[in-house]
Formats: sequence, structure tokens, C-alpha cells
Amino acid sequence: MAITDDVLVIGGGIAACTAALSAAETGARVRLLAHKKSTLRQASGLVDVLGYAGGDGPLSDPYAGLDALPEGHPYHVVGEDGVRAGLRIFDEAVGDAYRGGHTDSNALVMTHGGAVKPTARYPESVAPGLASTSGDMLLVGFAGLTDFDAPVAADHLTAAGVPFSPRGVTVEFPKRFRADAKVTRFAKALDRDEDVDGGTVRSALADTVAEELDGESRVGFPAMLGDDHDEEVRAELSDRLGVPVFEVPTGPPSLLGLKLEDMLFDALDEAGVRISAGNPAVDFEAEDGRVETVVVDQKSRPTPYSADQVVLATGGLVGKGLDSDRESVTEPVFGCHVPHPEDRYDWSEPEAFGDHAFARFGVVPDDELRPTGEDGEPHFENLRAAGGVVGGADVAREKSASGVSLATGAVAGRLAGEEATR
Amino acid sequence: MSDAESPGNPTLTPDAQTDDFEAVEVFPDSTDMDLRPGADNCYKCTACDVSCPVAEVDDEFPGPKFQGPEQWRLKRKEDEAVDDSIMSCSNCMRCDDACPSGVPLSQMHNTARGEYVDEEMDKLSREYIRNRILANYGTLAQLGSMFPRLANAVMGNSVVQRINEKVLGITAERDFPEFATQTFREWWNERGGPQVRSEEKRVAYFHGCYSNYNTPEVGKAMVRLFESFGYEVVVPKQRCSGTPMFANGMLDDAKRAAGINVENFAGLIPEGYDIIASCTSCSMSLRQEYPELFDIDGIEDLSAHTYEALEYLRIHEDLESEVREASVEDQSFAYHAPCHGRNQGLDRQAVELFRQLDGVDIEDVGDSCSGISGTYGWKEEKYDKSMQIGADMFDHMEHAQGDVGMTECPTCSMQMEHGTGYDIKHPLQLLEEALV
Amino acid sequence: MKKSPSVLVIGGGSTGTGIARDLAMRGLDVTLVEKGNLTHGTTGRMHGLLHSGGRYAVSDQPSAKECIEENRVLRRIAGHCVEMTGGLFVQRPEDSDEYFEKKLEGCRECGIPAEVLSAEEAREIEPYLAKDIKRAIKVPDGAVDPFRLCVANAASAVEHGARIETHSEVTDVLVEDGEVVGVEVTHQTGTGPYVHGEPGEVEEIRADYVVNATGAWAGQIGDLAGVDVEVRPSKGVMTIMNTRQVDTVVNRCRPKGDADIIVPHETTCILGTTDEEVEDPEDYPEEGWEVDLMIETLSELVPMLAEARTIRSFWGVRPLYEPPGTGTEDPTDITREFFLLDHDDRDDLPGMTSIVGGKLTTYRMMAEQISDHVCEKLDVEAECRTADVPLPGSEDFTVLRDYMDDFGLRSPIGRRSAQRLGSRADEVLNSVDPNPVVCECEAVTRAEIQDSLDTAGTELNSVRIQTRASMGNCQGAICCHRMANELAPEYDEETIRASLDDLYQERWKGERHAMWGTQLSQTALKHMLHAATMNRDEDPAAADADIDFAAFDDGGASEGDASGVASGGAVADGGRERTDRADDDALGGADGDN
Repeated sequence: MAITDDVLVIGGGIAACTAALSAAETGARVRLLAHKKSTLRQASGLVDVLGYAGGDGPLSDPYAGLDALPEGHPYHVVGEDGVRAGLRIFDEAVGDAYRGGHTDSNALVMTHGGAVKPTARYPESVAPGLASTSGDMLLVGFAGLTDFDAPVAADHLTAAGVPFSPRGVTVEFPKRFRADAKVTRFAKALDRDEDVDGGTVRSALADTVAEELDGESRVGFPAMLGDDHDEEVRAELSDRLGVPVFEVPTGPPSLLGLKLEDMLFDALDEAGVRISAGNPAVDFEAEDGRVETVVVDQKSRPTPYSADQVVLATGGLVGKGLDSDRESVTEPVFGCHVPHPEDRYDWSEPEAFGDHAFARFGVVPDDELRPTGEDGEPHFENLRAAGGVVGGADVAREKSASGVSLATGAVAGRLAGEEATR
Repeated sequence: MSDAESPGNPTLTPDAQTDDFEAVEVFPDSTDMDLRPGADNCYKCTACDVSCPVAEVDDEFPGPKFQGPEQWRLKRKEDEAVDDSIMSCSNCMRCDDACPSGVPLSQMHNTARGEYVDEEMDKLSREYIRNRILANYGTLAQLGSMFPRLANAVMGNSVVQRINEKVLGITAERDFPEFATQTFREWWNERGGPQVRSEEKRVAYFHGCYSNYNTPEVGKAMVRLFESFGYEVVVPKQRCSGTPMFANGMLDDAKRAAGINVENFAGLIPEGYDIIASCTSCSMSLRQEYPELFDIDGIEDLSAHTYEALEYLRIHEDLESEVREASVEDQSFAYHAPCHGRNQGLDRQAVELFRQLDGVDIEDVGDSCSGISGTYGWKEEKYDKSMQIGADMFDHMEHAQGDVGMTECPTCSMQMEHGTGYDIKHPLQLLEEALV
Repeated sequence: MKKSPSVLVIGGGSTGTGIARDLAMRGLDVTLVEKGNLTHGTTGRMHGLLHSGGRYAVSDQPSAKECIEENRVLRRIAGHCVEMTGGLFVQRPEDSDEYFEKKLEGCRECGIPAEVLSAEEAREIEPYLAKDIKRAIKVPDGAVDPFRLCVANAASAVEHGARIETHSEVTDVLVEDGEVVGVEVTHQTGTGPYVHGEPGEVEEIRADYVVNATGAWAGQIGDLAGVDVEVRPSKGVMTIMNTRQVDTVVNRCRPKGDADIIVPHETTCILGTTDEEVEDPEDYPEEGWEVDLMIETLSELVPMLAEARTIRSFWGVRPLYEPPGTGTEDPTDITREFFLLDHDDRDDLPGMTSIVGGKLTTYRMMAEQISDHVCEKLDVEAECRTADVPLPGSEDFTVLRDYMDDFGLRSPIGRRSAQRLGSRADEVLNSVDPNPVVCECEAVTRAEIQDSLDTAGTELNSVRIQTRASMGNCQGAICCHRMANELAPEYDEETIRASLDDLYQERWKGERHAMWGTQLSQTALKHMLHAATMNRDEDPAAADADIDFAAFDDGGASEGDASGVASGGAVADGGRERTDRADDDALGGADGDN
């Protein structure tokens, strides 16, 4: 007996969560079918919408760049309304934990390498560190953490011409860990405010940094200032230092990405979305051009899930929503058409940051976000796609990754929900 | 467009979900397997590391990415030394659940741990003897259950507890689980075995050690519930599922137990029986670890026919409708999903189901690990870490409305009780109350 | 004190550095010039096989005998560069018995220890060998790290007083009165201890004798001197697997052919190779069919290779030589022997000798012979000692194996580090605190990176070559920027950024040959991390135009929209505000409101 819902969303990342929330708004009974942990854990936690388009950028207004995007871009399918709908769902889901919703403009945020980038929404903990605000900045790195070199990052900011003076220092973390301690260990020590010689971790860290502070009006750390009690950690450090404290977003392991994932799943729970996680969708049954059931591999046992409408949000090459071998690129669950050059040497360019075809790989959506076959017709009447599995955007170079997921998720989810509850 | 026109429609095979490789036994007659090719799937996203509850509180443990794909990839065949930090892994298997790329992390950990214990651990050391005892809880429990009242009195004696800690390194902070005065199997025999016979609906119950010796009411609930749905339940002879043995690198012990379990259960499959476990670690072991670690005739078949009890009813019965029509006296639960249940995709099913049960308020206390991980939290040197890991769960339980805990895992349940003082129920017990 | 005769060696590969070491140890005044970094040419681009001689036991017995002799020498003097894996010549059912017997006989004639194994015995050594193999011959093949070998030879040469100039290209050979008297070099951009000139600076280096040890480039140096050196460069592909499917060198036991060897090298296996003559050793096509051929053919020996992950491919150019008039058609038939071309005897141009052909395994023997020749020309009487004195890092290496698990590192990391650093492990690994791992794939710690910077300067590619950092499965996705950070505080941010860009591009070049399957996912993650997360592709610091920071979100400091952008409705209040779709014709497609 198949487990039955109105809308089945396959995937566990930002696009899948958005699609599920969007479908739930229509009153449909929604199930999210997630496999493993999503690419949110590798991402910085920033929500980019559009930073570069048509050779222009960084764009202060992401909407101003929409027209300049190449043909076949998913933003052309969902339109500006779709982008706004995605952001609305996001803003409602995360509440005060994210900032940037007060304006249409992008913010410029520094990243852990020191380069600034345009982004539309940023965690509350990142807000005091915007590069598009003034106020001299002290960056603090830790000797044992190789990903973030505060003096280099500060000099990098200076090279970008930021409207303030940045300075970086490297200090010892007050509690001595083994050299390969994970950032989660640092965060936990701050969360629990563990004891160290002559005090606790938070106070000792504040003392160390206070000695380095030389008139700067804000202090930044790599994003590891606590996990469950992060607000408390930041508040205490700010209080002791007398200036706002902020976090610098990082690559993997990304606590900010992890927290965003938690928030989105909490929002799903709140919205009554049912969640089945841990097993992959591997197959399907279709009839009369409609997907009837999706088959989940429950530890090598096929388990059917059925729904009226299905949203495919399994991710791109990184999220494994797309697969490839030496000859071809495929979408492994439904076998949707994924156009790609025949010669695999044309999948990438010789320049590392070139206009790579692989970056735009994905299914080709029709105007209702249904993946289409080579003939341009939708594969299935009730299958839509959202997020990384949709082709046509080089979200890395455009700085549009979360935006494309939010927008396509919002539109695909709403259409699916409306169809299912019609 | 018809189904048939869809290209690349994959067939469902055991390795459809990952680019699995076939690990080979490098040396015949040993458990040493070459898992280096498993590192091919790793793309360094570190999702596993941020999911590791041990690395969060213990910097001696370098995290699953290092212990798994990195250590294996760095290995040369003649290298004997596995890093001793492998013994700090609690075997919660959350890394398996995190990895988006199909790296066989827990298999790598289990195999490395087995190798470490075999080749590097002093067999006369206190740690080895203690781990061997903990890993073979079933044997200990069997003895205890012969004279349950005496055993309970002795194990609850603070002098004995202190001796356990000093001599064996078993923490004195925890109360030893009480042995039931009548084991599940004694009850089963007393009632004369199955009360329902069926040709079509047949299940074989894998009760595991804990439901047998300590919480027979869970086993009884399982039997009554399944019988109420018309299932013929049988209870074959069985040994420990192996979970605590894997966690302590005692792969030879685990293999012996697995041999008996496979023999006694796999033979029932052709007769139409599916295998049901009420403990999520037992079902995890039979489903995933058995075929990953051992090559025993019938082991794949057993794996493919093993289910967790609630999961089975959800798939095979219209459980949701039944529950929607039922009601119980008002009660609120703080539910914790055990990590091993999470790994099988079962972490949300109890909450989803009981939210529809009239009279019940149930809240998921979050996705943190309880911290006990079977035998991990029983070790004197790990006790504090175990409680630090569990702190989030205790915290969320106390903030939840419910004042009764709920979980499928017996050791999580010990930890929940130890950390909050709450009574803990198994979902089967509530389901029995609602439906039987 | 009497001034020593001076010798100029051109070429910083294994032969050149070997010659520099040998002559310096004999007391001569040696200068070595190299146009790139050490191992820039063929040495840096080979599969790392330490020949037992087995591969030549049928076709080229003199080479085979040299190989087994030098194989034993290198194990003695370069323990930290060598891994004695052993080798197998594997016969498949379709391979000829006659050749198998010839191979066995040839090995025995050349003094190469050889043992016949049944298929079962061979599979016991290498369980992933195909189930249908017939049998195998076991020989003492090994793996050698050419990078470390070269660096160690150069370090030894410098210890004995040699001058080494990398990034110094020979732009002319000075000929006076019909005799070679030195070279003109043009210094290139570069950093490191072996860089002394300014970029673009032209320097004349005079010497009593010149040795042309430029391998595949020998013809070009010959041209500058006005002599013909008929090098026939031949390219070959090497495909790197992510893990070691085998721990033994696996050769196909059949007459010469493409794709017939798998060499376990450090954490990887290297599949080789092809043999195609090319015009220009620096400009030749690198083609996908060559990679496909490696995978398809070698999976006949080790079937799992067909599905296994490759992380990159690279090509090397063999410096093949044949005496004028030989006219071999197929480059695979050209001899692998080396030739010493005394231009005095050959072209009536005294003062210079070229050395061409040969192979890495016999580099020391080649260096010894040419050093003997040079000493004879210069009338110097000195014994060669290179076969007896261990290279730096290989002294007492056997003792080291006993404590390589120390250094406060996790045991596999300590072991790997010690295997790379040899007897220097103690000194290097205890030099930095804290000592975090920088490259996780290859277990390279900060201490080792810092140590390599002494010779690499700002060249992260040289750091990579010395330490293997960024050579693992993520191909630098996670560690490139960490490596660059290690250049601080010695170098400024702009230099660090430029070094990072160079390394990233270099990694990209080889990785492109492996972009499918898991490695394509890896590449996509790398692209996301470096372009999306770090914005390195559009880094404003590198852009020409200035940014108008005031046009961007100021965090709400000035309430109301500071950006001046026509606002389409902020939605932070959670309202369902919708704007009119102003440009739906341009944006086309799905309507948000239907």
C-alpha cells in the first residue's frame, strides 16, 4: 500500500524546502522525500539572488540584471514575481534570523577568502560586518584554523577599496584543542562557555581580542560563534568588547548553512509538511503521461510513495540530482532529458573560471517548470522541477544560487499545490 | 508520454543508490577488507563532520571524514596501524545519514575498528575486557535474568557500581538496567506461542536482548499489535544483533552471532515470513551492517526482508486511517528519534502517526544524538562526553510539553531517563493502547 | 687555492640535477640552469616507475641490466623517494605463452629476480586483478617520486657548492673560436632560493665545459649552438586514479603496446601510457581518446578501473633519440638507451656534450658516465661517490620507520609525512605549533608546507610538487586557498592572490581530463566553493572598476532604501505583497499568478 499525499517533493535542499512550503500554502497535503544531507551544509548560508549578469556587476539591484540573463535561464521562466515569491517564502520561514529583506538592494558581504560579494539575504550574525557599511573593522582568526587568515582577508578587503579600514589579527583560541579539532568543537565550547584557565571560553576570548582592539567599531570572527546558543555567545562577546561582533561566512564545514537547514526544516514542520528522510527516490511508475508513484529505496527494499503532483528538487551535479559518465549526463530518477555537448571536453573551458557548460547542466523546464524531452514536450503532466536540477543558470558565477532555488521552488510548489487541490 | 519512453529508468538494485563497489577480502579467513575504493565517492563536503556528535565535544576524535575516506585512502596494504582515535567513535552512524555522496562511512569505521582491536589492542587490557563485556550484554543479561531480583539488587548496589568503575571502567554514574522478573521469551512460552495463524500474513520477531531481558512489555505490545492485524507472529531463537559488538570492534563475536541469526531467520523467508524488529539498532544491524561486513549464505535475503515494526505496518496496512479513528486518554510525549532509526528513514514516522491520534500531543525534540550510543555512554572515560552530547536533547525534552519520553531505542531510552527522570515509552506501547 | 674547473649544466630534471650533484661532489665548480622550476620537463611528468628492468628484459637487455643495477642503488641512496612495491607481469588468456617464457628467461639472463605465480597466487597479492588472468611473473619493480628525487639531488649539489638557477632560460649558447664557452640566460619571473636574477635580466655564464641535459629540449639547445641533435620527442598520457586499486606495479605481459602498466604512486595509481611522436615538446594535443584507452585497456587487467574515479590526466614527453640514419618508423621501436653526444667528436664543436635518451631509473648512472666524460675532458681525477652517499632525507631512513607514527599527528598523517620527509621528518614536523593539516586528502600539515616554501618561494605549484598538497581527490577545492594563506605574512596579499590563481589554474588543466562522474561532481563543488562562496571569479579587488559601495544595502542603517533603486516592495513584514509584472514580455514564461 503506497503512502499517499497530494504533493510529493523529492529533495532536501533549499529548493525542495521552498517548494514544499509553497505547496503547503495552497492547502495541499505535502510530503518531502529527502535522501541525505543537502548542499546547504557546504554553502555559506548567504542567500544570493543575482550579483552578476551580462558582464555587469556587482549589481546593487538584482532585479535590474534579470533581462540581461541568457536565454533559457530559469529566472526567465518564473519572472520577477517568481523571484519575489521565493524571497517572501524564505523571509517568512526564517523570520528575524536573516536580514536584507528591508530593501531590494544587494548587500556586499565579505567571504572567508576576503573577497566581497553581492547577496540579497544574510544571517543576522553577519549583518554588522557588511562591507557596504562603514565602520573600521577588526578581523580575528585562529592559529589552528587554516581556512581563514584574518590579516590576509583584511588586506584583501582593503584591495577592494572598502569604505573603512580593516585590520586582521591571528590569536590563539582560549581553549587548546588538538590541531584537527572541527569547527563544531569550537562552537560547542562557546555554546557551553566551557571553563579555561582563569575563567571561561567567552570571557577569555573577549580578553584576548580586547587587547588587540585599537579603536575599531566592529569585530569579525569566522562563522563558529556557537551553534545552539549563538545569539548568547555573540551578545556576550559584543558586550565585553563594547562593539558589535559579527561572523564571516565560510565554505564547508559551514555552520551558517547548517543552521539555515535547521530553520527550513523547522518551518516545514510548522507548516505541517510531512518529512520522510534518509532514503533515495530511485524509480517511478507512470501511467498516461502522469507519474503515479515514486519508488524509494528503503535500504534496498522498494517502497512506493504516491501523490497527485511531484516536484523534483534533487539538486545539480553537487547534490547528485544529475549524474554523468564519460559519455553522457543524466537525471537519474525520471530519466529526464539533460542537454549536453557530445564531447565531454566541451563540458568545461580551459580557463578555471570560464563559461563552463557543466555549470548550466540540468533539465529543460517548460513554462510551468515541467522538465521537457528533446521534443520540447513535458515528460510528465504532473512532474515539475526546481533548484539545481534545473539547467540554464551558472549560479556560481552569477551569484544566484539560492535565488534560483527559491524562485523555482516557490513557483513549482505553488503550481503543484494548486493542481493537486483543484 | 508513457513510462516506457523514459530513458534511463533505473532498476532497483542494492547499489542503485550509490556507486557501490565490491569490497574484497584481502586476506582469506579474516575480516580485513579493502575499503580504499569507497573513498572514490568522497568529495570532501564535510557534511559528515558537522553531523558528528562526538567531534563536537571531544577533540581527541578527528571526525568521520578523517576516520573514514581519508584514513582509508591514505592506507597502503602493508600499513598495519589504524589510528587509535577510532575507538572514540560511538558508532551512532549519523555520518552515514549525512553523506550526500554514498561513502560507506560506517562500514569503513566498523572495519577499521575491527582491525584496530584485532591487531593493536592488548587483549589483557582493562579496556579490552570491559569492551568485551559491554559488547556481549546479551550473555550478561542471560545470567542476570536467571535470578533477576538478586541481580538487580547486586547491580544496583553502590559498592558493586564503584567496583565496576574502578576495576572495569564501567561508569558508576548510571544505574544498571533492571532485569524483568519474567523475560519476553518466558512470557511467549507461557502463553503458548502464536495465538493467530495465517498463511498470508506472517512475521518473525527479532526482539533483541533488551526487549527480552529488560523491557518485555515492548515485545508483548509488538505481538499483540501484529496479531490484532491478523499476523502470525513467530519468535525464532536468536542472538544479539551485533550492534554493541560492531561498536567495540569485536567483529568475530558479531560474526558468530550473525551466523546463528541468519540461519534461524533467513530460512523462514521462503515460507512467507518477513522479519520485524522493535529496536531500531537491531533492524539497522540486520539490514545494513550484516551484508556490509559479513559474507554469510542468506544474509542479503535477511537484510532485504527486515523491517522495523512501525515501518512495516505503515507500508502493509492502512495504519493512518486506523490511528485517525482511534483515541487514547490525554497524554503528551517528548519524542526522540534514535540515530539508527534516522539512518533507516524512520525518524519522523512516530511523530507523523501520533499527531493524528486523538488524545495525544507529541513533539519531536530535535535531531540531536542522545549521546549514549549503546555502550559508549557506559564507559567511564566517555560518560561525561556522553552527557555533553545528550545535553541538547535533555534541554529540548524539558522544554517540550510532554512529560513522558518516547523513543524506539532501548539505550536512548536509558539516556533519556537518566538525563531527565522521565518515564520512557516505546511507540509500539502507545499504538497497542490505541488499537488493541 | 687553485680554482676548480667550471661546468655549466643545462636542465633541472633528474639527469641535470644528478650531474650537478655528481660533479659538485667531485669538487668541480658547477652551475645548473633551468628554464622553469626543477622537474619542469619530463621528470615532472612521468609515471614514477622504478624499473626492475623487467619491461626491457626481452627487447632491450642492456637497458634491463642497467635498470636492475640502478634499482638497487636507488633503494640504498634514496629510500625516502622509493616505495618498493614489487611488480607483476600479468598474462591474460589471450596473451602469448611464448612471450611469457621469453620474459621469464630474459629476466633471468639480466639478473632480475623473477618468480612465476599462478593466477591464484597473483590474486592473493592483488585481489582486484581480473578473475580470468592466466599467471604472472613477480619482479622487484617499485615506485619512485621523481619530484623528491630531483629536489634531493639539487639540495645535495648545493651542499657541495653548486649554484642552481631556476627560471633562467638559455637564450644563446656562446661559441668563441669554434668552441663552446658558456651560455646566455634570460631570467624569468620566479621565486625561491634558486632564483637570483631579475625578470628579463640577461646574464652570460661562462664555463670551462657545458653539458646539455635538457632531454626532449636538447635539439633546441643544439640549434642555439649550431649543431643537430636528433631528438624525437614522443608523448605519453598518464591517468591518475583516486585511490590505489593495486599496491604492486602491474604490467601486462605482452610485447610493447599502449596502456600496459599500472603504477601505485603515493595515494593513487597511475595508468600508462601512449607513445606518439610529436613535433614540439611543449605544444602537442592532449586527447580524450588516450584517457579512454587507458581505462578501457587496463580494466582488462583490473576490472574495477572501468568504474573507478580518475582525478586527472597528464602527459609527458620522452626524450627519445636515435643516431642519424636509423630511421625507425614507430616511436615505440626507438631504443630507450641513453646517448652521450660529444659535440667535439661529432660536430667539431668542443666544449659541450649533450646527453639524450635514457630513463629516470638510470639517471644516476647516466650522470656518472657524463661526469666521468667531463672530468676526462677537464683533466680532473676524482671518483664518483653518488652510488654510496645517501641523498639528503635518506640518511638512516630505516631507523626512522620505527618512530614515524610520532610527531603528535594521527598515525596515518604522521606516517605519510615521514614517508615524504625521510630523515628530515623530526626537524620539519616539530618546527610549527599548532600544526594543523592543510591538505586533508594527502595529509600535509602546515609544517611541511612551511618547509617547502624555503625552496618554492611563492610558487604554490612547487609546494604542491614537494609535498603533494592539492594532489588528492578534491584537486585543491578545499585546500588551495589554505595553501595560499600559508604565504602570509612573508608575502603581501596581492602576491598571495596571484599565487592562488596560478595553482588553481594548474589544477584545473589536469582535472579537465577527468571531468565526469564523481570527479565532475567534485569539480562542480569546487566551482561553487570558489566562485559562489568566495567570489574569486569576480573578485572586486582584482577588477579595474571601483565599486560604489554606497549603492548597496547598508544594513538598514538609513531607514528607507538607501540604494536609490526603484523599490518593488520589500517583503520583510511577511506580507504577500506583489508587484505588477512590468516586463513579462521580456521575462516570458510562467506566470506567477495564474
